[in-house]
Amino acid sequence: MINESPPAFELGDTLATRCGNTLTGVFVPGSSKIALSAYRPVKWNSRDAPSETVGSEDFVLVHMAKEASLFEEPLLRSLLAETTVTFTTLQTLAQSQKSSTKKITEYTKISSSYRSVIRCCLEKLELAKKLPEVQENDAKQKLFAEAIMTLYSVECLWHLFEILYMQQQHYQLVVPQLLEWTRFHYPQAEDEATDLLLMGEEASEFDNYWQTLKKLIMFGQLDVTRAILSQQPQASQPAFQAAEQLLKSMPVYQEGYALQKFTTQWEYWHSDLERKLTAHVFATEPELELMMQLVAGSNKHWDAELLDSHDWYEYLPGYLLYTKPSCKPFELRIAATNWQNRWSRQQPADWKMSQLSRMVLQLMKHEVKQFIYDTQKLSDSHWFSTHIIDLIHHTGLLTTYFEQQGVEIPELRQSLIYDYGSYLMTSHNLWQLGIDYLDHCQQEGLAAISLLLPHIPIKTERQAFKIIQLAKQRGFVEVEQDICKVLSKRAYNDERYGSALEWAIRAKDVLLVTAIADFILKNYSHTGNMLCKDVITSIGARMFVSPRLIFLLKYYEFYELYGQREFLAAADLLVNLLDSKITPDYFWPTLLIDALPLLESEDPKIFSKETVAILQHLEMELVPLIERNKRARKQPSNQQTNETALKDYRVEHTEEILDLMRLACARNLARAMIIENTSNIS
Amino acid sequence: MAANVSSHFISEKISKVRWLPEELQQSERFITGSWDMNTNYVRLWRLQANTYEQNVEQTPQCSDKVAFENDITGMEFVNNDTIAVGCADGHLSLLSVQRAVEEDQIWRTARSERLHEFKRSCTAAPCTALAVYGSDIATVGEDGSVNVLNANNLKQVKLTLNPDSMALLSVTYVNQNELVTANRMGVMRMLDVRVANEAQKKISLYASCQDAKSSNYVSAITTHPMQQHVLICGCEEGSISVWDLRNMKYPASYLSAHNSPITDIGFHRRNPNKLFTAAEGGEVWMWSENNMAFDTDQKDGNSVWICGDRVRALVNVDGVLTNIRKAINSFDVQGSRLICGSDSEAIYLVNDIQ
Repeated sequence: MINESPPAFELGDTLATRCGNTLTGVFVPGSSKIALSAYRPVKWNSRDAPSETVGSEDFVLVHMAKEASLFEEPLLRSLLAETTVTFTTLQTLAQSQKSSTKKITEYTKISSSYRSVIRCCLEKLELAKKLPEVQENDAKQKLFAEAIMTLYSVECLWHLFEILYMQQQHYQLVVPQLLEWTRFHYPQAEDEATDLLLMGEEASEFDNYWQTLKKLIMFGQLDVTRAILSQQPQASQPAFQAAEQLLKSMPVYQEGYALQKFTTQWEYWHSDLERKLTAHVFATEPELELMMQLVAGSNKHWDAELLDSHDWYEYLPGYLLYTKPSCKPFELRIAATNWQNRWSRQQPADWKMSQLSRMVLQLMKHEVKQFIYDTQKLSDSHWFSTHIIDLIHHTGLLTTYFEQQGVEIPELRQSLIYDYGSYLMTSHNLWQLGIDYLDHCQQEGLAAISLLLPHIPIKTERQAFKIIQLAKQRGFVEVEQDICKVLSKRAYNDERYGSALEWAIRAKDVLLVTAIADFILKNYSHTGNMLCKDVITSIGARMFVSPRLIFLLKYYEFYELYGQREFLAAADLLVNLLDSKITPDYFWPTLLIDALPLLESEDPKIFSKETVAILQHLEMELVPLIERNKRARKQPSNQQTNETALKDYRVEHTEEILDLMRLACARNLARAMIIENTSNIS
Repeated sequence: MAANVSSHFISEKISKVRWLPEELQQSERFITGSWDMNTNYVRLWRLQANTYEQNVEQTPQCSDKVAFENDITGMEFVNNDTIAVGCADGHLSLLSVQRAVEEDQIWRTARSERLHEFKRSCTAAPCTALAVYGSDIATVGEDGSVNVLNANNLKQVKLTLNPDSMALLSVTYVNQNELVTANRMGVMRMLDVRVANEAQKKISLYASCQDAKSSNYVSAITTHPMQQHVLICGCEEGSISVWDLRNMKYPASYLSAHNSPITDIGFHRRNPNKLFTAAEGGEVWMWSENNMAFDTDQKDGNSVWICGDRVRALVNVDGVLTNIRKAINSFDVQGSRLICGSDSEAIYLVNDIQ
């Protein structure tokens, strides 16, 4: 159930053996793995000489060690998923404005719904264990057995905790609930009893008849015992009649009854039983007499029966029923200790108490601090400790106890939820559950979410959107943008520029958007191919992320108009673009060449004033650029960058543009002036 | 929240859920597809009477399953016992269901070549959605392409279109020959499945968005089962846009609805007065036409959905499922039963859809 000693690793590769099996380990960031490799300690006093491994063929092997977790089994995932729902319900309940008495019943409901989740899971496991594919698989069978064992203990402890600490009735009697508890955890007796009842009269011939009856008595199930006894063929004999009478008349405490009165009644009934036993009323039926001895609480007989019991607490509630029916929680402490001592005396010398038994004892002895300490050692990835401490924290149970013991429950709860949430977030495909836990541990939790969210491996865009949505809900703008950036880079490297551009716009990253827009523009000026037209047309108002993107969009608009032979509008847009001051340097040649056909067209498209402006841009922007380019080309260091910077697919040398453009401008200016002035006169 | 909801935890994140079609009765069987698991399965379930608890009438029992290579992203019935399944490895598969008295069975009958891939790196691109019309199946993927295949021969792709250079998220048939696809920028395109890339008419619709500067993808589209010119889509910002395909200049209506991305949208199969929407935030809403109000000025062929601002007054909204906290990825309605698959690894069964 738990590892009493820390787990030991042995690598066994040759290198490690040679170095005397010393290891070094590093926690792998973003996961719960540890990377282990051979390591030889070198200290200040080690001799400075070539090590003997020099030149050897041995590889350095890096081993990955991972904490084994039950929850990798798909069946157990539902436990995590379902408890997450209960957990969040509890958190909202704790924050709600209900009255405290109402809340307490709600808390008990929550507690039992946690338990029903475990029981449901146990049932599924039991079913699955019988499947042929599991039967054949040893590893799986072992895992299932371990899971059943762990979950069973958890349920058993939780139930006991609920009885002893959560159900606070004013009369505070624990025996009836404890009987219920053992009944659930040792169901065999009840199963056998059902068989006996079904057999009717013949039951008494059954081999285990008296054994079963004894067990029923020890589990305190008087009604069933009586029912079986009444089926006896000899039921009318005086011994059986007397037993029936006694069992029937045993006083049972009921709510609202005066405790004093009950005790007197019970004392009377008990002495009556003792008297009948000494009078040998049951002597004719030795087995029945033995049963009645048990009912009378005879130590000698109970001790004999104890030898057969599975665990020390199995018959404790039954024993209490016959010896101290009005036992209160604080009296249970002593009763449990005594009983446990009695039981262990019967055990063989090498007997060792199991973890579960010890924890049951801790609960009964009111050693909750130790109990909480031990819950964290269960191999359930802290499932139990996290949830029960969260529940303790919200219900405000045992507050004074913890204060005395110096246990800071709120802090403990926070750190457990934090660990558990981080564990879920870092485990493959449990991240959606983990986030719910981290949401409920204040600032640290949120910080952890913002750190862990971007580390979730993204396989599809739909998943990416889910992660982005989670970040958005919590206002982690940076996380959202980081994810978009990663996807943008991924798409860019894969030459999916449209996708890259869109992700970059989503990331609202000016530099990235500018870089991609640059790429598209440069690609156009080099090849004349406009990439991802579909994306550029639909960017719309999102273009304001980056001036370069605005430029790209506007240029594309011009490109489209030009393609549709809407020259006037195109010319207008082009002049605007020239004036806009957002033209990147490398694009000047392209932009000016684009003006060329418009200037040279038969009927002038560009007015004189604009022509002058174009000419001005030519001289003020392009000429200095070319000069700079030339100078730069002489320095071989950055030759590469500049050569590619100024280029258009339509001309071989950028310098040629100058002459062509000057001529075209002059011609257009002349024509435009004539036309403009003529029209002015007319 | 509807009164009669039962939840069943099945240890899988569910991306798709569909009822098996039944002709005359309420279906007892459904299939689920999972995502983000170590092994993803399409599972066939059957509802069985619950012997344990009184307040939950039926529990689903898994009768059979088929393991898949990657996340299940789309699942539609081609006919009564054939299912087309799209997978995140870019392939399309066909599954067959055998209904039996004891144990139902499901198995894979065909698998296509890789339909979607990123050209440069030659890696698989996830298939993101699929639509079925008759025996035609259209798939869309993250590579921005559309493939049309026939269910009788998955080895041959009838038509491949490349309308977008980014991921397409959703697809639906408007009629036998026309498809509507939606991409990550909220652009929807109408494509003709009879003509190749170059000859496509460029018809695109832009999803409306409250803030024009933010991105708004369209994640789900559907058409009205009776009035096929009514196209409804759900968006990232949680709103619903409606188009009248006879007049595509503007969206006919715009409704702000959920406050998280819409994941699935669909009309009731038999009762087109009801529309359902599911959202990432863990909600399913039912929009029912308020016939009383609409009858007064009903015109021929006009749907309440294209009434612009008046839609709000003509449609009632009810929360069928709320407060699930995890995304509802898919739902299906049949008769009075609604089934939902969620990231909370549970199936939600609502029994009393009126």
